[in-house]
Amino acid sequence: MGLQIVLNLIIAVVWMFLNNEWTAVQLIVGYALGALIMLALRRFFNHDFYLRRVWAFLLLLVLFLRELIMSNISVIRELLRPKLAIRPGIFAYDTELRGDWEITALACLITLTPGTLTLEVSPDQRTLYIHAMDIADAEELSAQIRSTFEKAIKEVTR
Amino acid sequence: MHEIGMTIVEWIIGLLVLGGALLGALSAFGLLRLPDVYTRSHAATKSTTLGVMSILLGAFLYFVAYDNYVSAKLLLGIVFVLITAPVAGHLIGRAAYKSGAPLSDRTVQDDLKHAPHTDTQLREHTDGQLPHERERQRE
Amino acid sequence: MLQVVLYTALVLLSLSVVAGLYRIIRGPSMPDRVIALDTIGICLIGLVAVVCMLQDTTAYLDIILLMGILAFLGTVAFSKFIEKGVVMEHARNRDDHR
Repeated sequence: MGLQIVLNLIIAVVWMFLNNEWTAVQLIVGYALGALIMLALRRFFNHDFYLRRVWAFLLLLVLFLRELIMSNISVIRELLRPKLAIRPGIFAYDTELRGDWEITALACLITLTPGTLTLEVSPDQRTLYIHAMDIADAEELSAQIRSTFEKAIKEVTR
Repeated sequence: MHEIGMTIVEWIIGLLVLGGALLGALSAFGLLRLPDVYTRSHAATKSTTLGVMSILLGAFLYFVAYDNYVSAKLLLGIVFVLITAPVAGHLIGRAAYKSGAPLSDRTVQDDLKHAPHTDTQLREHTDGQLPHERERQRE
Repeated sequence: MLQVVLYTALVLLSLSVVAGLYRIIRGPSMPDRVIALDTIGICLIGLVAVVCMLQDTTAYLDIILLMGILAFLGTVAFSKFIEKGVVMEHARNRDDHR
């Protein structure tokens, strides 16, 4: 992956040389051109094309923003009820993700969506303890996290 | 044409800023109303974060539209708030739980209380042995 | 028009700072106060941004970053203190994990 980025940068710099114009615009154009060339020749590389990961990361970001806004709305709806009807609780969530980075990303994403808060990660890094603001159904909540965040993180890292 | 464009931009900025401020105020209301530390931190840290992010985005658009000034600092601020908010929220939540802040009586489920790894913390306080292990040894 | 919106935003944000102050004074437990402090810090970032727009100046934009960093560091230090842990955690004196 590192090699591919370096290659892309080299193509961008060469593009700047060819144009004899040392501006950021030319660099960006060159970079985009390099990405296109590498996209066309991607089957000659040993690894996957690296921009696929960047794309997956962007998808994760979009998913996350949507989730952030939706859950904010639901939390505020709960908050503005004349009579408070929340049932908070802590549930254990077994994650399939391994490694520090993946766990950190998942914990941060869970924490940043209102309504769920990672309280603790167990030492063997297999269980996350999540405090939920309205724990209607812990199973359903886990399934939701598993099908959205965990899947998207896997797309990026694997 | 240009006039119309400016009006639209003005509306977008106004909506972003007003929406952000409303989110901030509502989550502060939650800070007053909710029953325990954990639920308060739900409302407080995260909704406020989204609110401030939208205000900063509004400010960014404002400077782009009126002063023709692309402020990298504001973008950096947005990213910074987005990154630090969950870390801070998680740390406070953990500290609150470890220092024994009470859960409200509405709480319906507490899996962390019976988590196996809390035994390791207990182990530290009782020189390396859990109560039931010591009993087994005595037998 | 934008002027009115900006002033409204100022008032709303100030109200949430007041709510945070109330929680700091009343807060039954220490973590409550820390959460309120964090909220006030984040609200101040928004306030500075709105003031920047009102006065049409980019001079205060550095303060936004500064406030963000200070609020974050303060929160981390406070919560570590409440946890009775160490502020900086090194791998060599972390004995429990793995």
